[in-house]
Amino acid sequence: MQRVIIHADLDAFYASVEQLDDPELRGKPVVVGGSPEGRGVVMAASYEARRFGIRSAMPMSRALRLCRNAVRVPPRFDRYVDVSREVMAIFRDVTPLVAPMSLDEAFLDTTEQMDGFDGPEALGRHLKEEVRKRTGLVLSVGIAANKLVAKIASDTGKPDGLVVVPPGTEAAFLAPLKVRALWGVGPKTEAVLHAAGFHTIGQLATAGPSHLERNLGSRGPWLYDMAHGIDDSSVSTDHERKSVGAENTFPRDLTDGPELRAELDRIAESVARRLEKSGFRARTIVLKLRYANFRTITRQSSRPLPIDGVSDISSAANALLDAAAKLGDRFRLIGIHATNLLPDEPDQIGLWAPTTGPERQTSVEPPGASR
Amino acid sequence: MKVSALQDNFAKGLSVVGRAVPARSTLPQASHVKIETDEGRLKLVATDLMIATTCWIGAQVEEDGAVTVPARLLTDFITSLPSDRIELSVPARGRQLHIQCARNEATMSGMDAADFPPVPAVADGLALTLDPKTLRKAISQVQFAAASDDTRPVLTGVHTLAEGRELTLAAADGFRLAVHTLQLKQDVPEKVEVIIPARALREIERLITDESEEVEMAINGARSQVMFKLPDVEVVATLIQGTFPNYGQLIPQSYATRTIIEMRQFLQETRIAAIFARDGAGIVRVQLEPGEGENAGKMTVSARAEEIGEHRGDIDVKIEGDASKIAFNSRYLQDVLQALDDVSEVALETTSPSSPGVIRPIGNDRYVHVVMPMFVQW
Repeated sequence: MQRVIIHADLDAFYASVEQLDDPELRGKPVVVGGSPEGRGVVMAASYEARRFGIRSAMPMSRALRLCRNAVRVPPRFDRYVDVSREVMAIFRDVTPLVAPMSLDEAFLDTTEQMDGFDGPEALGRHLKEEVRKRTGLVLSVGIAANKLVAKIASDTGKPDGLVVVPPGTEAAFLAPLKVRALWGVGPKTEAVLHAAGFHTIGQLATAGPSHLERNLGSRGPWLYDMAHGIDDSSVSTDHERKSVGAENTFPRDLTDGPELRAELDRIAESVARRLEKSGFRARTIVLKLRYANFRTITRQSSRPLPIDGVSDISSAANALLDAAAKLGDRFRLIGIHATNLLPDEPDQIGLWAPTTGPERQTSVEPPGASR
Repeated sequence: MKVSALQDNFAKGLSVVGRAVPARSTLPQASHVKIETDEGRLKLVATDLMIATTCWIGAQVEEDGAVTVPARLLTDFITSLPSDRIELSVPARGRQLHIQCARNEATMSGMDAADFPPVPAVADGLALTLDPKTLRKAISQVQFAAASDDTRPVLTGVHTLAEGRELTLAAADGFRLAVHTLQLKQDVPEKVEVIIPARALREIERLITDESEEVEMAINGARSQVMFKLPDVEVVATLIQGTFPNYGQLIPQSYATRTIIEMRQFLQETRIAAIFARDGAGIVRVQLEPGEGENAGKMTVSARAEEIGEHRGDIDVKIEGDASKIAFNSRYLQDVLQALDDVSEVALETTSPSSPGVIRPIGNDRYVHVVMPMFVQW
């Protein structure tokens, strides 16, 4: 059956909430984020601020240099969470299949709901109107037969967009877009694609799968599918956690030494705590390092048996740092992410128990003991 | 090259080598099959660079030669042809394979056979002759316990030890261990220990038919390749390098409870429980209660899924030792019981809910399976 998938995305969410709550801010360039002295970054910028070239994730100091009249507002997450809940409730009035991707965006599967609407465009308009009426926020909507194309559709329509890509026209819709528009194509993959002569998705789509694989390695088949607008993934409402992590940007750059290692252990502790709360164990530990010059790398290691103890996470992260850090490197940020998550319960006991770590072992020893 | 062969033979040969053709490969030749005349027969070769399969089929050779063509295309085409004689020809120094069968005619662009990855020769090492059915049984009882993910590459292989008059195959994926010992016809001259990719052994298991007479196994002097030679088929695989964990110490030497169970009933109850276990992380709970008489023991196999339901089934068993309970992953139990399809009874040896369970076929000490339990709240 032809699916109807919607990607709904609130425009400049944090900044819009601030403008909504404080009429003084309306029509002004608003940036939400930490203070420039404390190395804050821009979490959101209103469309007025974006005209000055201000973008999310940009250091606040730079943003304020770009636009001296910008009004900086510290984030109020509790408020954003409340508003987000209201918006998700509007989505759930339409379909039970709502998968929030973050506070301000969600995928909706409305395949079963089309009888109540005069086509996908009418449904999209209904969602936009409801959100505007009940929260005052502007919603961009992309509608297609799968998540990949729906997401790109909503991105291309921003701000205040409503883009419907009818089934069968995916390839034509994607063809003129830059490869960067594809999900999962970041600056690095983009550079590889440019080097291989692919600038638009259309160019990518005309290349054969074997040609892509030769030039792009294992990513070839994946890119081939994406360039043709192929995506079978479903809108999943379960909270399938992909990773649990913590990171910290330091007030000043650190070199590898006791201070950095203590910070790493502290982050490991926080990841272990979050993992425990999430009810998952991880098979892969990812170390994220951002150098003083903003270059960011990740290094990862995997274990045959999932881990969740502080000491396992910490030893894995420390080993990765040992391998990555060179003398004289200065780090701005360090982070640990636990991925490849498996449910914590129940426990499959391993043949070689020690790989599960000392914490795990003690809990396995007393037969029948509960954790 | 100018050759003719029967469509049936050709199609069968292609299906033998076809599984060695990789689904994807960086080397274009690897998705090809090599066709070569060889002393009055036609030789077909396919390889994914780790495993190479060669098959010989009867043919009438008028003119020697060789060519490689895309395996998928050739196989799809040949298997669709009517059961008739197929004429193959390649012009001298050409790379176009011309095929004619009944009123069908086709040409396929090939590549120079000289560019096809060579199949390593396996020589100067150990050579054994094995009974095909015994080997097939041993593989089927061991291969499923090999790891399917390559976090630890050695565990994707089957540890193979030839020593004295025995050949021992063992596989372990971190949660279970399967060990089968085969009797050899004569002593091996020296102890040989290698790790054979489980994938290669599964291929051998598939290729051994009830008609197979003898299987020759050879391991080269450098211990880098293994070859299995069946009638008209040879499989050469690259051995996995590394140290296989010392598994002997993983097999418990004692037990608190030994339960003798009719295999079919055990498998059936496990399958039923697995239906419920599916929604409960695959946990099957086994409770063992000795009775008054020798045969009055009861085994209860149960599974439950939160908010869905639960099931329990009882089997009469013989229990020696204490009452006990233990939980296993239903998949692991089914895997081992299915592999023991030729035995009527198995023994389950347990010590505690968190120590390994051991399954042995009754009346056959050539096989032992260790399966780790799951830690559950009873």
